[in-house]
Amino acid sequence: MKTLLARSLSRKRIMTNDGKVIGTLKNIMVNPDSGQITDIILEPDPDFNVSGFEVDNERVFIPFEAVRDIRDYIVVDRHLMLR
Amino acid sequence: MRTQITDLIGLRVYTESGVYVGEVEDIVLDIDAKRIDGLAIGSLNKDLIDVKKHKGIRIPYRLVKSVSDVVVLRNIPAMFKGSQME
Repeated sequence: MKTLLARSLSRKRIMTNDGKVIGTLKNIMVNPDSGQITDIILEPDPDFNVSGFEVDNERVFIPFEAVRDIRDYIVVDRHLMLR
Repeated sequence: MRTQITDLIGLRVYTESGVYVGEVEDIVLDIDAKRIDGLAIGSLNKDLIDVKKHKGIRIPYRLVKSVSDVVVLRNIPAMFKGSQME
């Protein structure tokens, strides 16, 4: 089991599994009743195409199922991140 | 229902019987299970918890009963000192 403190993830860079950095972590969405982590909120880099994503106020929602691992970067699966 | 995790930080934590426990300082995330593992609680109620060297405590998320304007914990007998008197 791998546990992390939420504050340690603040401003972490997000990369797809093909090696492209797409932006910075802005926030994490959770369901407080079940404790489930539902999404991560990405502040996209200017060259990132946000079409096909759930976008709110220039923040992009990525489902947490797409997150492969978190170390120096948050690595997301580029197929799973599209809902 | 979805909430931003930053909205949970700073919430006051109470027991089911209304006793103040502390404040949420951080959230422990279990990345593999994709869920919240626990809450890191600081600004502790010194009457409830012996604060010696540590500044905070970590409470497993299954002990959280509900989260809204405050966090309410399930009553566990003898979890805190003096709780058997409640």
